[in-house]
Amino acid sequence: MSDQIDFIIRQIPNLLWGFPNNRPGGLLLSVLLSAGTISAGFLLATLLGFGHHSRWRVVRFLARRLVWLIRGIPLIVLLVLLFQILGSGIIFGIELSAFWTAVVTLILYAGAYQGDIVRAGIAAVPAQLLEDARLLGASRTTVARTVTIPYALRVMRPALVTQAITIFKDSSVVVVLGVVDLTTTARIALGSDIANAPFWVATYLTVGAMYWVVAFGLAKVVRPRRGPRLAPEVAIS
Amino acid sequence: MIDAISGLITGDVLLGAGVTIVVTILTSIVSFALGVFAALGRRSSSRMRRSMAGAFVETFRNVPALILLIFFAFAIPNLFPVDLRRVIFFDNGFVDALGAVTLLSIPYYALAAIVALSANTGAHLAEVIGSGIDTIPSARIEAARSLGASRRTLYRSVIVPDAVRTSFPGITNRLVHNLKNTALVGFVAVPDLFQELQATITRTFQATRTLILAAVLYLILAALLEFVLGRFEHSIRRGRPNDRLIDV
Repeated sequence: MSDQIDFIIRQIPNLLWGFPNNRPGGLLLSVLLSAGTISAGFLLATLLGFGHHSRWRVVRFLARRLVWLIRGIPLIVLLVLLFQILGSGIIFGIELSAFWTAVVTLILYAGAYQGDIVRAGIAAVPAQLLEDARLLGASRTTVARTVTIPYALRVMRPALVTQAITIFKDSSVVVVLGVVDLTTTARIALGSDIANAPFWVATYLTVGAMYWVVAFGLAKVVRPRRGPRLAPEVAIS
Repeated sequence: MIDAISGLITGDVLLGAGVTIVVTILTSIVSFALGVFAALGRRSSSRMRRSMAGAFVETFRNVPALILLIFFAFAIPNLFPVDLRRVIFFDNGFVDALGAVTLLSIPYYALAAIVALSANTGAHLAEVIGSGIDTIPSARIEAARSLGASRRTLYRSVIVPDAVRTSFPGITNRLVHNLKNTALVGFVAVPDLFQELQATITRTFQATRTLILAAVLYLILAALLEFVLGRFEHSIRRGRPNDRLIDV
């Protein structure tokens, strides 16, 4: 038992911030990676969400197809596929590293899922409100900026928090590209050494607890405040 | 191009697709049952049941599926000393029989993968179905009660069917997500579709083509699952008005 505790105590700094020669890694990298890609993905999601309601058929078509496509493919397949395409210089000689491929993939992934939430959030804005704003003489962009976005943001908040937590957990899949996030760090720490076999359960319990604390904590800290009544579409998902 | 791609679909890949489909079906059924019980448990009058269901949901919902997979498949057997481990997990009559039936070389990993994915999806489904339960108007439950329905009948014929009907879009969403999560089981040495396609890559060196094929096959499987669940949703909604709130 004590050797288990020793092993875990020795590995905890690595699991939290990564191996000394490779920082940031571990939980810190998982958090940074998901926070960064969720934020960048939200910009993409806004474009996709508005694109879904666009006046132009082509834009509508592209936005819907892109969301459908990315949502229909497992993240692990998407990661390996994009690494194959972006990592090998097939397109314009671009050769992204595993890390940047993971970043691009997670942005697309987060963008598609959040895009669906944004779409529903925009749909939840009462048409009456928009018409009133237009009648008062506001331009389309002003209406979008001052009415649609603030209203939709409040409606989308709980769904976005849930989705952010999901993306944080799903980011563990970047282990296939060897990006040294929390999951990969645990795998490297244990290695293939048979002598480490007794430490597997303790290590993965620790790793699970680390993911759990962040995911559960996030859900509790950003507990949805009372907003407008949710559209059913947003409540599901 | 078509020839080149269809050449990639070998018998192994088809077997892999079969594994993916079977794992999806089994995990969908188990996780649905877990979800229903956990959702009811969280709303039970007994504090013990509430906290047990709550612990189940919050544990398995907040840990990545991949960690659960590795934990159940690789970490748990490592709790035991080597010879005991072999007897319990890899080399006994039950596992051998399972291997003979399923053609899997290490059936324990598949079993562990099904447990891990079911727990994960079940915890998520509990939240979805729970929100369905919360939309049932209390008048409807009181009506059933005053008609003399027993507790059992109340749950079996009113609460669960109603909750499942209202939350079905969310259930579909989650089960499709579960289908995509099965692509992770290759990580714990279960020869599923993605695992077999990756084996194809090492054999043919046609990485881009094979991976595009993988994406297309998963899109098809997801569309298929959505279609089946859509039909099912249609059949359980038949003859019922959309807005249940007025049909109390």
